[in-house]
Amino acid sequence: MAAAIIETSQLTRSYGDICALKPLDLCVPEGEWLTVMGHSGSGKSTLLNLLGGLDRPSGGSITVRGTDLATLSEDGLARFRRDCVGIIFQQHHLIPYLTALENVMMSQYFHSVPDEAEARHALERVGLGHRLKNRPGELSGGEQQRVCIARAIINSPRLLLGDEPTGNLDHKSTTMVMELLRELRDEDRFSIVMVTHNQEVAAWGDRTIHMDDGCLVREERTKGC
Amino acid sequence: MLTALKVIPQLLCWAILVPVLSPSLAGTATAVAAAAGFVAGVAGENLLLAYVGGEIPFRPLRGICGVIFLLLWGASVWALYRSGSTRSEAEPPAPGPIAAGAAAVSVGVLAGALTLCRLAPLDGGAVRLIPYLSLAGAGAVVALGAAFLAKYLPERLAPRGIPLLALVVSALMVMACSVQRLDLFSPLSMEVMKFIHDFVHQFFESMLIPDHPFFRSDVWGYIGLLFGDKVGLWGGLALWYLPVLFIALALRLERLPSVAHIRQGAARRKLLAAFIRERRLRLAAPLLALLFLTGAAYQSRFPATEYWDPKPIEVTATPAGQIAIPKKGEVDLEDGMLHKFSYRQGSREARFFVMLTPAGQLVTTLDACAICQPEGYGQAGNAVICYYCRTLIPLETVGKPGGCNPVPVACSVRGDAVVIDAMMLLNTWESTVQVTAHGKGMGK
Repeated sequence: MAAAIIETSQLTRSYGDICALKPLDLCVPEGEWLTVMGHSGSGKSTLLNLLGGLDRPSGGSITVRGTDLATLSEDGLARFRRDCVGIIFQQHHLIPYLTALENVMMSQYFHSVPDEAEARHALERVGLGHRLKNRPGELSGGEQQRVCIARAIINSPRLLLGDEPTGNLDHKSTTMVMELLRELRDEDRFSIVMVTHNQEVAAWGDRTIHMDDGCLVREERTKGC
Repeated sequence: MLTALKVIPQLLCWAILVPVLSPSLAGTATAVAAAAGFVAGVAGENLLLAYVGGEIPFRPLRGICGVIFLLLWGASVWALYRSGSTRSEAEPPAPGPIAAGAAAVSVGVLAGALTLCRLAPLDGGAVRLIPYLSLAGAGAVVALGAAFLAKYLPERLAPRGIPLLALVVSALMVMACSVQRLDLFSPLSMEVMKFIHDFVHQFFESMLIPDHPFFRSDVWGYIGLLFGDKVGLWGGLALWYLPVLFIALALRLERLPSVAHIRQGAARRKLLAAFIRERRLRLAAPLLALLFLTGAAYQSRFPATEYWDPKPIEVTATPAGQIAIPKKGEVDLEDGMLHKFSYRQGSREARFFVMLTPAGQLVTTLDACAICQPEGYGQAGNAVICYYCRTLIPLETVGKPGGCNPVPVACSVRGDAVVIDAMMLLNTWESTVQVTAHGKGMGK
């Protein structure tokens, strides 16, 4: 079995009196595609935020690639986010007045130094070689999401986190994005943790966990379409 | 207490130099060597002041400051020349303990000697025992304390090589520039002014350009800009700053290391970013040096040093209305120093000074100029300074009218005395002060 890229132990997160995530033990091996399903308010996004270093746990531990995130300072967490994870959001969060190429280069800038050739190559890889100079407003939803993927992978993280990346997309675009993620997982050995509501989308992963009211209620292996 | 305040800028520079030297060279041992050097420098300079006296103890220090500044110039040009070449992968070797110790001792000796000069009495002789010992002790304590704090200085901030040289030289310049007799900046700006003047003059001579009315009316208007009173200052600043700017530019132009062998883009970019960040940090040393040189230039324009400013000696006139001052009387008028006198007649009073110019002529002037309030003059080396506007007047021009020069008073040398007409002196003083005093009254 591959080494674990993510390990959580008794991981909890509370907001005041509300316990968004109840003690959770989770292990994700390197190269696995894990999907997280559940109703709204079940703690999926809370879990994703904790895995991505966007939030801090209230209790328990969370280790990503051997680093205990609870022990990191704010600067350490920023470095972790910069170097170790790529995040794909449902709402894209692209900068509207920058072109697709510049959006990807922006990510390089915060990581180290921008490199146009490399950013161009990343966009070509997600099938947007012909849309480099277009702004997000001039791209379709699926194309915007592919720019997000290019932005997420440009700094070669080992872990990709997707928070309902296909939530706004039609079936055709969804399939394109999923195929792209699978290609990345197969060729570059990215580990993927993806939150989704969609059973069909969840079926693309290797394993699915179901959450309800902050608890992991069920776990199943999927076919990986 | 006031004596202690005088050396604060020097000790501050020293407190910056030691932590910079310690990690850059060989650690705590370097700081101990620097402290020992400082004490030795203080002791050695005081011995020179005590047993040699005059200007001689200042000359070697001034010479060393000039030489290290020239060295900085050479190093900066070399750094700029080398900046385009491919960067060697290996770090330059750290200096050995003997070389590091020698460098620290040398810097310490120079810093100690420069700091002691700040306390040197203007009338010659050694610094008194208590200030002397206090300074030696303070220098050693500052060095050791700063070396202790240097442990907390991030390794990557410690300058090395030519940027370190720039920082050390500029700090030593600050230490020197508040001592009039060691100041390099003022003579440098004067030389620049003289060079430009001579160059334009020679150019016109060699090109046989006639003094045509056309030149007088238009072209001279522009050429005249080259003779403005700020030309020397700006030219001096340019020469002062250029080496450090060259070093900063050389660092900026340094080639990035080859990263072609790294396959993964992010790792490649990360390495480049680390190099660029390191290069940016290395710019801190020349920028700090620039700040030091600005301080040195400012200090030399408005030196905090004490000037030779003797108390005016009261003189009287003969029944014939003549003031006769013997050349070798209470003071030696021919010793090249400014000697002040005051003459009172009833409620009228005039202050003046007599001095021997470098041309060998005894001149008498009012202790006031035609344009400033009559704050008087002090002597600083080869110049007198107007206390009101802080203009330095070269001794060569004392006795000549115009600008902020002290107003000349006619005198004659009869036998062994300088003779001045008392009534003419009083009238000249009053007519000058009436215009310039603006109701402030006479004197300092």
